[in-house]
Amino acid sequence: MINIKNEQEIKIMTVSGHILAETLFEVLKHVKPGVSEIELDKLADKLIVEKGGEPGFKKVKGYHHATCISTNDVVVHGIPSDYRLKEGDVIGIDCGVYYKGFHTDMSETVRVKSQKSKVKNDQVDKFLETGKKALEEGIKAAKLGNHVGDISKAIQDIVEGEGYSIVRSLVGHGVGRDLHEEPEVPGYLAENIEKTSVLRKGMTIAVEVIYNMGKNEIVLANDDGWTIKTKDGNFSGVFERTIAITENGTVVLTK
Amino acid sequence: MAHQGSFEAEGVVKESLPNTLFRVELINGDLILCHLSGKMRMNYIKILPGDKVKVEMTPYDKTKGRIVYRSK
Repeated sequence: MINIKNEQEIKIMTVSGHILAETLFEVLKHVKPGVSEIELDKLADKLIVEKGGEPGFKKVKGYHHATCISTNDVVVHGIPSDYRLKEGDVIGIDCGVYYKGFHTDMSETVRVKSQKSKVKNDQVDKFLETGKKALEEGIKAAKLGNHVGDISKAIQDIVEGEGYSIVRSLVGHGVGRDLHEEPEVPGYLAENIEKTSVLRKGMTIAVEVIYNMGKNEIVLANDDGWTIKTKDGNFSGVFERTIAITENGTVVLTK
Repeated sequence: MAHQGSFEAEGVVKESLPNTLFRVELINGDLILCHLSGKMRMNYIKILPGDKVKVEMTPYDKTKGRIVYRSK
């Protein structure tokens, strides 16, 4: 059952998304060599509460942090630890806010650079740029009347077009009263576009681009029941925004 | 937070229970409780014990599934 939100509910989610976007961009400013993952998580927690929301991830059964911090070969669901970031690390921060009954979900991946560093690692920077572009194209494809498969195809074409691989078992999802709702929005085309759900007015979706530099296989690692890493040890990136399909076009709520 | 997508598995229907529930034995040996998908109900497709079926499952609960296709 795809839950449709009315205008009032989308307004609440817009506020939720705004709190989340401000928090995440502020946390990203603090990403520097020497900072530890748990410090970033505590900062996110503090900012969300200051702005009037609640950390959405704490409502997930068995998870006790405000963010998922996925460094280097960790794909998603990295539990923030006291690992201190090093120059050149690829860190993915996933965060969620629960506000007046509604969740929003957002992720961003960046390279850890100190301010004096002028070294550009072209390979990794290109990897991250591809992910951002795939997310933009995916959001553009999320128009009224299109199918979920159009979003999936847009993301897959860009990521696999550059030679990277899409993680198959992790998907984008509807978002609203629950953090994960229907429909599932994979980053690759699993079936005929016509067979996937039609995008209707009032749907709120967290569009996610989860992709690896190397091969797409992932494994459950670290025995903590959460951390997912790439099987071949290469870097992984995640980009995610929450969007709402309205009659005036697609609105990005997390900004 | 990323969501793990659902996947399809194949199996054989072992017994039929009330309310279009079925116990299905998957290829890997697991016995799970499945219900009939709405599309199959709408098109009046019957399932009997012994049929080979495709089941849609979620990684979050490996004991339940939804029957989406009956093979010939």
